[in-house]
Amino acid sequence: MNTNTNMAKPDAPSAVEAWEPKIVAFFCNWCTYGAADLAGVNRLQYPPNFKVIRVPCSGRISPKLILQAFRNGADGVWVSGCHPGDCHYIEGNLYARRRFTMFREMMKFIGIEEKRLHFSWISAAEGTKFAEVARDVINDVKALGPAQKLIKRKAEVE
Amino acid sequence: MQQYTETIREIAKKLLESGEVEAFIGYRKGSVPMTHRPVVIRKAEEVETLVWDSHCALNLANYVRDQKGKIAVLATGCNSRNLVMHVKEHQVERENLHIVGIPCTGMVDHRAIKKAIGDRDILEVREEADGETIVVEGKDFEERFKKSDVLQRNCKTCKHPNPVMYDELVGELLPEPENVGPCEAVEEVEKMEPEERWTHFESMFSDCIRCYACRNACPLCYCPTCFVDENRPQWVGKSIDKSDTLTFHFLRAFHMAGRCTDCGACERVCPVDIPLKYLTNKLNKEALAIYGYEAGMDPDSKPLLDKYKMTDLNDFIR
Amino acid sequence: MTRKVYTKEEWNSAVTRLAENQRVFAPVKEEKYTAFKPVNGRNNFDFDTLKTRMSPKQVVFPQSERMFEFSMNPKDENSGVLQESPKGHEAQVVFGLRPCDAMSFELVRPNFDNAEYRDPWWTDRYETTTFVGMGCNQPRQTCFCTSVGSGPFSEKGLDAIACDLGESILLKAVTEKGEELLKALEGGKDATDEDVKAAEHLAQAAEKGVSSAVETDGLKDVAEKALFEAEFWKDTFDGCINCGACTYACPTCWCFDIQDETYKDEGLRMRNWDSCMFPLFTKHGMGHNPRGEKYQRVRQRFMHKFKYYIEKYDGGPLCVGCGRCVDVCPANIDIREAVGLMNQFSKQGS
Repeated sequence: MNTNTNMAKPDAPSAVEAWEPKIVAFFCNWCTYGAADLAGVNRLQYPPNFKVIRVPCSGRISPKLILQAFRNGADGVWVSGCHPGDCHYIEGNLYARRRFTMFREMMKFIGIEEKRLHFSWISAAEGTKFAEVARDVINDVKALGPAQKLIKRKAEVE
Repeated sequence: MQQYTETIREIAKKLLESGEVEAFIGYRKGSVPMTHRPVVIRKAEEVETLVWDSHCALNLANYVRDQKGKIAVLATGCNSRNLVMHVKEHQVERENLHIVGIPCTGMVDHRAIKKAIGDRDILEVREEADGETIVVEGKDFEERFKKSDVLQRNCKTCKHPNPVMYDELVGELLPEPENVGPCEAVEEVEKMEPEERWTHFESMFSDCIRCYACRNACPLCYCPTCFVDENRPQWVGKSIDKSDTLTFHFLRAFHMAGRCTDCGACERVCPVDIPLKYLTNKLNKEALAIYGYEAGMDPDSKPLLDKYKMTDLNDFIR
Repeated sequence: MTRKVYTKEEWNSAVTRLAENQRVFAPVKEEKYTAFKPVNGRNNFDFDTLKTRMSPKQVVFPQSERMFEFSMNPKDENSGVLQESPKGHEAQVVFGLRPCDAMSFELVRPNFDNAEYRDPWWTDRYETTTFVGMGCNQPRQTCFCTSVGSGPFSEKGLDAIACDLGESILLKAVTEKGEELLKALEGGKDATDEDVKAAEHLAQAAEKGVSSAVETDGLKDVAEKALFEAEFWKDTFDGCINCGACTYACPTCWCFDIQDETYKDEGLRMRNWDSCMFPLFTKHGMGHNPRGEKYQRVRQRFMHKFKYYIEKYDGGPLCVGCGRCVDVCPANIDIREAVGLMNQFSKQGS
């Protein structure tokens, strides 16, 4: 049983003008998730276009999850974890880094726009960096327009 | 490579008779041209069925996991690297393997031959003793090809024809080829614009019938439950919808990152002729460029994604 | 029965013209290989290639097919209720079927259309299709149609059959449907006795040209359990990689898997081809798999075709001898060898 729940599709012309990108953000519980909190507490401004999924570590992020976000209509994906050396589990983000490197190369190769996929290291103390990166991620994705590739729509079958 | 057959039979006989191994994995002559059947031989009197020539292109490393006790297996350069990966990934114990290494001069691309012959019925494809000529015979025709012209694409750009891990060798080690050209398929795609690349892959995989021959022929694909068979969540739909087919191929290829030895089995077995090498070759290329890593070359090091350096590439991360 | 002769140009244009008014399938030469595709006036027919890579079964039984649709929007009147997908089947014609492929539809029919139930999707399409065959002048080394009840010029399952006379095509109606088709086709002239003789001569030569054979005479009487438990299953087919290439290329493999997919607030129930070669095919919800071993799945494919079918439908076997499974198998699992072993066992072992 497939339990996909697609996000709204910006199809109608009027919707395009008012279109805002939808970004799936995977944040590590020990750092970036805290940074988002801190940015909020400090009343730093950043656009609200992302849906946050809290994960125990950036090492938890399998390319499956990123592909799944794109399949369900995400316009962009943002993965953020602890700075190298600061991983709560010592080395989770370092394994993740290699995985992301290879995955990103493949995504570029198959023709997914490079700027739809973002990675960052943001510690729990970096509320300012968080707001900055959030703005950049959203602007980058906004500039690309709505995602068109890999989206799982109603199956085109006979 | 044909003369290897006799040596292989002798080795198999010796190993099985002495009881050193319980089974010997090799090839039996196929009932149709250019396709041999992988076999697991347990009796010394069956060794006469073993063959070796330029059509032994399934990857025998794929068959070692099912076996119990010590087994012997034939391994060319790429196959032996897969055995190295198997040992590294704890799929098989090194001491349970007796690797019979084969310095390999490449496998014949059955599609290239079939394409050249057209719709005529091929009855026999044999190799001349010089090892350089392939003779294709039909009811009323005979055509000859230079082996180097009809090699599989991965064999044309093979850098490591010699086995990297073996217990004994069939024949002499070959000189490692120098100045091996890059994978043209990858370079072609790299030159395209992103939109063009997407369209390219979309149309390339549109023929896919989801038979999973590429997955099953690959020795790396040994997960007890493949992600395409998982439900809750269901990562990939089961129909031939293009988004599902593409997701399957992209994720399958990604799972080969740092593990693929470019044996070409996936591409060879595809019943609808999809050039599957594009994605895995790109990942191999990047693994080499970024980390200087080639899968299965070093039995003592860890797999690419199972290790890290503090100084690893970081410039795409904010 | 009407017989007409068309020049090759007439034949191609007659097929193209017919496609202007209805759905017509024909073998079409594509970049990589020849496949049955809808004729659209722009594609190249290929009536010469003997065997299309995949069988034409998808003409009646598509790989993925919509069955029902549903809405999950509570405001919808029919929310949560399955609605049969509108199909609007129109009459369709398939040209260039080889006789073996044509017979496959007859063999498959009892599975979809019998006294107990009738599968509307398969049966509707089957009944509205006119099957126009093309005899095989030069059978291949993997063809063994003559030992399983078909033949290079067999008319089983066909409404009309064509014969390539070299310069021209001789078309002969076999059924009423076929007669109708001959009337609808443009061009052509009545066949002469000479044409008919030439076709008969070709058919006889082709029959002799089938070089490969299997024996099935012992299979009907052997005890099912004994054959099931025969020793040879365990290690003869070690090489199989358990992909689905053979079953998907096979014209008589009919298994499918029903899946629901949901998209936001609507959904689709569809069926997709499935294969007994896959472990998931029989895996139970609680994890047990009655066919957990590779040899059990290999055995299932051959037993279904050459024992269970024969027993259940008192006919068969469920094989038309096209040899596609042998052609596409990457590990050379040869159905002829399997049947040979089965038959040999049946005659000695039981």
